[in-house]
Amino acid sequence: MDKKLIFEKGSEGRKNSYVKKPSFDIVEPNQIIPEKFLRQDLPLPSLGEFEVVRHYTNLANLNFSLDANFYPLGSCTMKYNPKVNEELASLDGFIKLHPYQREDTIQGALELIYSLEDILCEITGMKKFTFQASSGAQGEFIGMAIIKKYHDSKGSRRSKVIVPDSSHGTNPATAALCGYDVVVVDSNDKGLVDLDKLAKLVDDDTAAIMLTNPNTLGLFEENICQISELIHKKGGLLYYDGANFNPLLGITNPVLMGFDVMHLNFHKTFSTPHGCGGPGAGAVGVVPELVDFLPIPVVAKKNNKFYFDYKIKHTIGRVRSFYGNFSVLIKAYVYLLMLGKEGLLRVAQNSVINANYIKEKLKGHYSLAYNSRCMHEVVFSCDKQKEKGVSALDISKRLLDYKIHPPTMYFPLIVKEALMVEPTETESKDTLDYFIKVMIEIDKEINQNPDKLKNSPHTMPVKRVNEVAAARFPNLKYTYEK
Amino acid sequence: MPYVLNTKKEIKELLREIGVNSVDELYEQLPARLKFGAPLDLPHGFSEHQVRKRVKALSNKNVSLEEVNSFLGAGCYDHYIPSAFSFLLNQSQFLTAYTSYQAESSQGILQAIYEYQSYICFLTGTDISNASLFDGASSFAEAVLMSLRIKRKKKVIVSEAIHPEYRETLKTYLSGFDFDIKEATCNKEGFVDQEWLNKNIDEEVGCFAFSSPNFFGLIEDGVKLSSLVKEKGVLTVMVTNPFSLAIFKDPAALGVDIVCGDGQVLGGNVSLGGPSFGFLAAKERYLRQMPGRIVGKTIDLLGTVAYCLTLQTREQHIRREKATSNICSNQALNAIGAAIYLSLLGKEGFRDMALYSFNLAQYLYQRLGEIKGVNLKYGNRVFNEFVWEVKDAKELINKLYKKKIIAGLYLGDKYPRMDNCILSCCTEKKSKEDIDDFIEEIKENMD
Repeated sequence: MDKKLIFEKGSEGRKNSYVKKPSFDIVEPNQIIPEKFLRQDLPLPSLGEFEVVRHYTNLANLNFSLDANFYPLGSCTMKYNPKVNEELASLDGFIKLHPYQREDTIQGALELIYSLEDILCEITGMKKFTFQASSGAQGEFIGMAIIKKYHDSKGSRRSKVIVPDSSHGTNPATAALCGYDVVVVDSNDKGLVDLDKLAKLVDDDTAAIMLTNPNTLGLFEENICQISELIHKKGGLLYYDGANFNPLLGITNPVLMGFDVMHLNFHKTFSTPHGCGGPGAGAVGVVPELVDFLPIPVVAKKNNKFYFDYKIKHTIGRVRSFYGNFSVLIKAYVYLLMLGKEGLLRVAQNSVINANYIKEKLKGHYSLAYNSRCMHEVVFSCDKQKEKGVSALDISKRLLDYKIHPPTMYFPLIVKEALMVEPTETESKDTLDYFIKVMIEIDKEINQNPDKLKNSPHTMPVKRVNEVAAARFPNLKYTYEK
Repeated sequence: MPYVLNTKKEIKELLREIGVNSVDELYEQLPARLKFGAPLDLPHGFSEHQVRKRVKALSNKNVSLEEVNSFLGAGCYDHYIPSAFSFLLNQSQFLTAYTSYQAESSQGILQAIYEYQSYICFLTGTDISNASLFDGASSFAEAVLMSLRIKRKKKVIVSEAIHPEYRETLKTYLSGFDFDIKEATCNKEGFVDQEWLNKNIDEEVGCFAFSSPNFFGLIEDGVKLSSLVKEKGVLTVMVTNPFSLAIFKDPAALGVDIVCGDGQVLGGNVSLGGPSFGFLAAKERYLRQMPGRIVGKTIDLLGTVAYCLTLQTREQHIRREKATSNICSNQALNAIGAAIYLSLLGKEGFRDMALYSFNLAQYLYQRLGEIKGVNLKYGNRVFNEFVWEVKDAKELINKLYKKKIIAGLYLGDKYPRMDNCILSCCTEKKSKEDIDDFIEEIKENMD
């Protein structure tokens, strides 16, 4: 295989013809600007278009992707990315809009955002949304900043945010970014927030609790109403991490559960592609009491005209330039139009059916972290396999040989040798059966030939990658040979 | 029903295997009072044909930059994007892949991001780059947070000529702590006032941040600024437009410690301002304080070259509340796009486009200067945009729009003292004729 970097390709003097020189005599910058401000050397390669095309096509071909592979990645909701989303999001009338154009020239874009907000309000019960967040984590940041400002506005200085021990890493990291002390509440033996322990932690200093529901074990927090009562009674607020909202579409909503602020991940729940790790988009929704704290600007409507509203009384301010990841919003909007109310419900139901099917079929082979009804994802523990010397990592790497992307590994942290499986609703029974068959096969291989697993994968472009060496001797960029 | 493959028959079968009679049973653990009594109040699903019509109609209500003669820049730039670009970037194997936690099945992504990091280092002259952040504004906020962590200080001085929306974002990001942000004023020439800076740097300051080109388009004297603050033990953060670095001295050579900015210019559409990506690059000694993902080169079991995500002990999924940032998803696809874009343009192509932008902006600058009643606010040490002043600027902008010309960004809303100022930009997509038309219309409207 050609392992050359793009910098090792090309030939000095090679170039493409993309733009024309202006039709007047152009000058070199040093005729206008003092030399000391100018650079002498631009260390970039000189390439022809065809070799660039071949290079990046070959790189693309080294990857797993959702279009080609099953990705049962827990908490990531790797559902099919419909192609109509992509086509419509790339229309000139959307991608060639400058953020500082006059509002009367972007009415269609604003209307789209406004309509998307309407749909999300209906789905979640929230009063208003902002689309500034580029990801779930940035959505969390907006939400927690809102909570902070809300308490400040009441003259209440609270320093504590509670997160479960099963929470996503972004939750405590976000709370810390907002200046809060993070307090962890343990899960009980059912994998749910331990109510007694929580009651002891909640006090007048508690700003909020951050929860996913279903939680990262794939279990519905059945006591959510008691939890919200407990927090609200002490004047705290509830933050809903919407990473796991998929199984509840059309079934219930965060407001009924007692949440005050939430985010949705469009790159999970609403089918926008993950793009190797972004761009995503997060919508942050709030209950009426918190509308005045949203970041600026929000899209509003008056006399049938849409506009950006910057007059928000207690706004937390801005969290980015311009208005959010607009083209990702278009994709989510298209998806929601395609599904409609029945479609949304079907999404939720089938995500739960598919996860429970895998749970039933594999529970005889892999330990269940908690043996109760799961929602959209199920967490197994490879503890039995580990006793035989094979880890969750080995099993994951072996899955690659079967062209299956491994489940989320070693998460949540409270489960030993965890594999967190989220099949999503868009996978067929055939695919689920293939996954189940492979998982059982791998379990058999452990007895027959454990080394085969420990040295896996065998069929990828590289063998198992040495991550320890990468961290010990960081090599983070190419260096030209002198 | 779109996107769900299970048929009614299969659903029955699946439920039987699970051991339940109906889907409702799967939701039994939800308290009854939480369950909706009625379906959502939303329309039925539309067909793809209907959705296309509807969404296309929305896009048609907008006026795209292709239909007007626009001189808008101000942090978002309409550069030429080669046809090959979107073909390459939108391949399924990039578009629909997940974050490359599983290195063995993501070597293409990882190598492309390693190339991206290298490109950012080449342009900025720095030692290390992360794998991207959200956008310029949030990367600026992260850069300042990083510098305050390194210095263990609580005060930051930022130039008022940094993009106003970046400064607003910084304020929000710092609002959780008792950090102090002070804004450095600019002198009459539109540059950071060095005298002011000298006077206002005290031992509490950990970081000084400036932008070059600054928001007014001007190239700051980075060497002077960074040496001035370095004497006092303060780190410098520089916001820059990576396209300008085809011509102007790289930030590392200026003595800057941390470089950040928006990468939209490297292959991104203007797209109403998003998605783009933020870049963050720094000297090697600050590696452990870097936020976000980083790709490293290593070997596999057999000693073959391989790539993987590395130094993850800085990140939220490992360090939780002690992480260097809360960022998880970044803008990986756009970062890969930047590598593809720079590769397609190549050394000469990239510099040519920068050079043409520079020349067109200089031409516009000169032509505007010839108009009586137009005041060129500052000098022409600029990359591709600059500020000019004219009586009733807002009105002129409106009049010109009737001729399908977007004169630029009105600055009065962002800087009240500049209430007759306009920021105009030229990329290589402008022609001499576009500028001549613009000039003629201005003249006509000023008589």
